[in-house]
Amino acid sequence: MLPLSLLKTAQSHPMLVELKNGETYNGHLVSCDSWMNINLRDVICTSKDGDRFWRMPECYIRGSTIKYLRIPDEVIDMVKEDAQAKSRNRAEMNKNRGGNSSQNQNQRAPRSGNRNGFGVRNGPGGGGGLGNGNMRPGPSGQGNRPPAQGNKLRK
Amino acid sequence: MDDLNPLAGTAHLLEEVDKKLMVLLRDGRTLIGYLRSVDQFANLVLQRTIERIHVGNEYGDIPRGVFIIRGENVVLLGEIDREKEQKLPLKEISVDAILDAQRREQEQRQEKHRLVSKALKERGLAVNADIINEDFC
Repeated sequence: MLPLSLLKTAQSHPMLVELKNGETYNGHLVSCDSWMNINLRDVICTSKDGDRFWRMPECYIRGSTIKYLRIPDEVIDMVKEDAQAKSRNRAEMNKNRGGNSSQNQNQRAPRSGNRNGFGVRNGPGGGGGLGNGNMRPGPSGQGNRPPAQGNKLRK
Repeated sequence: MDDLNPLAGTAHLLEEVDKKLMVLLRDGRTLIGYLRSVDQFANLVLQRTIERIHVGNEYGDIPRGVFIIRGENVVLLGEIDREKEQKLPLKEISVDAILDAQRREQEQRQEKHRLVSKALKERGLAVNADIINEDFC
């Protein structure tokens, strides 16, 4: 579990962020990204010497200004549970994927036929369904007609 | 012989994972905890961390919990030798006592600094004390 993944897991948890200049920010983590930029809400900012305080409903902190973050102990335990759940999911998904492989091959056949039909049609055949693939031998003008009729019906 | 190992001479933080480490930060603070994770920026995750404050030959530990340390703030880190840890030539005192001692030490240092800059000023060497004090901003 990488440090930044742990930070992501800590979303919605309370934490303390100390900046390089010594200011600390106490708040709940809203979001973070791969540069360690973070959003906090319900924040209390404390000056370097610890004798001045500011309250703010939310704040954004640029990752490069951070010295460290302190997070609750239980977040690390959540990570372990998460990792277990994920590996279990992955095992199940692999099992499913193996079972469906023959079905996938069957599905692929009609789709490629459809793709050929699309290549010939040059009109705005927006509603192109499976049926259009069969109209391939006809002139392209026919291909244009069905959508136009559709417009008339709508009016 | 060592040349056979392509990583010989390079530092591997991964070997330190799950060991008890001391981490020295750029602001001079010392953290001791179990390293749980590192990444390519040397960002660290420390668990069951304490902050250890040294003054003279006394020290005090403040429990701090879990840290995610941004790598660029680390000066050095190293494994704690469990055997040597048992027989430190230092004396552990309470958190309040060590914080008191630290405050007094800081005041002494500031006073000394004030005298030095005063003496320098008298000799025509103006030193901007603010810049020196805020080393790591």
